[in-house]
Amino acid sequence: MLEILKELCSLPGISGREDKVRDYIISKIDGFCEYEVDPLGNLIAFKKGAKTPKNRIMFDAHTDEVGLIVTGVDSDGFIKFTNVGGVETEVIIGRNVRIGEKNIPGVLGIKPVHLIEKDEEQELPKKDDLYIDIGAKTKEEELALVSLGEEIHFESEFIEFGDGFIKSKAIDDRAGCAVMIDLIRSELEYDCYFSFSVQEEVGLRGAGVSSFTVNPDYAIVLESTTAADISGVRGEKRVCVCGNGGAISFMDRATVYDIDLYRKALEVAKANNIKAQTKTRVAGGNDAGSIHKSRGGVKVLTISVPTRYLHSPCCVCKYEDIESVRDLAKAMIAELAQ
Amino acid sequence: MEYGEVRELLYKLCALRGTSGNESAAAAGISEMLGKYMQTHIDRLGNVTGTRGEGFSILLDAHIDQIGLAVTAVDEDGFVKVAKVGGADCRVLTAAQVTVHGREDVFGVITSTPPHLKGDDDKKVKKFDDITIDIGMSKEQADKIISPGDRITFNAPFDTLAGNRIASPSVDDRAGVAAILRCLQLLEGKETCRLDVMFSAQEETGGSGAKTGAFNSQADEAIACDVSFACAPGLSSDKYVALGSGTMVGYAPALDYKMSRRLTQIAEEKGIPHTEEVMGGRTGTNGDDIQVSGRGIKTALLSIPIRNMHTAVEVVDLADIENTARLMAEYIIERSAGNA
Repeated sequence: MLEILKELCSLPGISGREDKVRDYIISKIDGFCEYEVDPLGNLIAFKKGAKTPKNRIMFDAHTDEVGLIVTGVDSDGFIKFTNVGGVETEVIIGRNVRIGEKNIPGVLGIKPVHLIEKDEEQELPKKDDLYIDIGAKTKEEELALVSLGEEIHFESEFIEFGDGFIKSKAIDDRAGCAVMIDLIRSELEYDCYFSFSVQEEVGLRGAGVSSFTVNPDYAIVLESTTAADISGVRGEKRVCVCGNGGAISFMDRATVYDIDLYRKALEVAKANNIKAQTKTRVAGGNDAGSIHKSRGGVKVLTISVPTRYLHSPCCVCKYEDIESVRDLAKAMIAELAQ
Repeated sequence: MEYGEVRELLYKLCALRGTSGNESAAAAGISEMLGKYMQTHIDRLGNVTGTRGEGFSILLDAHIDQIGLAVTAVDEDGFVKVAKVGGADCRVLTAAQVTVHGREDVFGVITSTPPHLKGDDDKKVKKFDDITIDIGMSKEQADKIISPGDRITFNAPFDTLAGNRIASPSVDDRAGVAAILRCLQLLEGKETCRLDVMFSAQEETGGSGAKTGAFNSQADEAIACDVSFACAPGLSSDKYVALGSGTMVGYAPALDYKMSRRLTQIAEEKGIPHTEEVMGGRTGTNGDDIQVSGRGIKTALLSIPIRNMHTAVEVVDLADIENTARLMAEYIIERSAGNA
C-alpha cells in the first residue's frame, strides 16, 4: 500500500482535473472488480465478496487535491492564479510549483525582506498581488508555455522521515484512495461499492452524484483530517493525534453523524484491537456532507487518517495510521452487512 | 542549454550547505573547486582563500555562507525551536521543508495551521518565536541526534525555469562564487597579475570573514561580487533593474570611483550587458569591510541581480552570472597588462 500511496501522491489532480489519478487507480483495480466512470469523472467500483450483504455498503474517498489554477498572465510575463479549494497564502509563498500539461516549473515570489516597510513585516501579500514566476521575460514567451485554465500543483516529493512519518502533497485524500485500492485488491467477506469521488475540495460535489448512482444503505468515508498534535497544543485542541489510529467523527461542519454508527466504530476497533480515536473538534467537512443527504438519506461514518498541515504542500501523517484506517474499514463491513 | 559552464558551477555550489559560522561543509567543496586554479587554504574564520602569480594584485571576493536557522531547543513534544542565522524572512518560513544538520541530516517541515482550524486572528504572519519544526520524532529520539546550535537550511530544489533562469536556495551568494570561478575559467592559459581569491565566511551575520580575510590579502585592488535586487512585481522598474539585464556595476562613496568608472567603460567597449547600481553610502556587501581593512584597499563591486532574496526560491538569470565573470576577466586582463 505504501508504494501505491507514494505514486498516488505524486500525481497531479486538482478538483476537476482528476483524470491522471483516476487512470492510475483503474490500472491498479482492473481485474479485481467491476467499475465504471460516471459523467462527472467519479470512478465507481463494485467488488464481489464471498457473500451478498443485506445492506448495501459504499466506501468513499476523493481523488482531487487542493491547488491553484492559472487565471491570467501579466504584461511582464508573470502568471496570475486563484486557489482551488482552501489554500492559505502563508503556505505557498516562497514555494515551488508545477504548471499544466508540460509540468512547467515555477516559484511564488515575494518582495525581498530588505525592501519592505515595517508594517509589511506582519502582513502577507494580498491574494490579488500574488504571482508565479516561470522565468519567462514577456507575455508571449509565457503563453507559449502555459495556458489559461491549466492546473498548478505543489512540487513536494514523497518523503519518509522521523518515527514512521511520511510527508507529501495530496495525502488528503490519496490516503483514502490507497486504502480503497487495497480493499479492492484483497478478498472481502461481502460485496461492496467504492466511489473514488471528484471535486470534494470545491464543495463535496462528486460524492453526492455517485451515492445517487450507488444508492447505498451505509457509506463509510475514508478521509484525511486535521491533526493539530503539534508543539504546545494540548487536550481536545489537538483534534486527533498521529499514531493513535483512524479519527472517527461525531460531527463536523458538513455532517451530524449517525451516533450509533460512530459508537459502533469505536467498539469494533476496540474489539478487534485496532487503534482508533474520536475527532475531538467540530471542524472541517467531507464527502459525508453530501452523501448523507443523497436520495432518501444514507447513514454515514467517517474514518480519517490524522494528518498535520492539511492543504499545504507538506502534509504529514503516520503510515501506521493508514493501516489502522484500512483495518477498521474492513472490520466494519461485516458489522454493517447484516 | 546556454551558459552550460555557469549552470554546472551554480548547481554544484547550491548543493553545498553552509550557514554563517558553520561553513565547513561548503568550504570543503568550494576549496576543491578553487583548487583547480590555485593553491587553497581555509583560514581561522573559515574563509576559503587562494592566490596565484606575483606583483600587482587584485582580490576577488564572494561569500560562501547562506542564511538559515539554528536550533535553540527541542521542546517536550519533540519539535525544534530556532533562532535566525542572518536575515531569515518570517513570511516565507511557514510550510517550508528544511534539513536540520544534526549528528546526521534530519528532514523537517515548518509547522502550519490548516484553514479548517484557523481563527480570525491567525491571518497575520507568524511571529518568529512561533516558528517550529516538525521532525516526526519524540524529544527522546530527537535529543540523540539534534543539539542546540545545530544549523538548519532550506530543503528546496535547484529548479530550472524558462529562459536560462534558476530558482534555488543560497543563490545569495553562490552566484557570486560561480562568477569568480567562471572568471578563472575564462582566464585559463592567460598571464595575469597576482590574483587573490577570497570565498568568505560570515557575510550574512556582519562581514567578519571579509574583514579578516582582506587584512591577510592586502591586495592593491579588490572586486567584491554579491547579489542585488532585481525588479519583480511590487517593486518599481524605475528603481530596480530587470533580471537578465547584465552585471551591475556598483557606484557608492564606499567604493573606488575610478575602478567603478573603468569597469563601466570596459563593459561598453567589450559589449558586455551591464547596468549601474548607485548607492548613497555603504553597499551592504563585503565591499564595505574590504575597503577599510589594513591600510585600506581600493574596492569595486559587481552585483548579480536576483529575485526573492533570502527565500528558498532565489531566482537568477545565468546570463547575468556569465556577464559578471566576463567583465571581471576583462578588467583583470587590462590591469595585468597595465601593471606588467
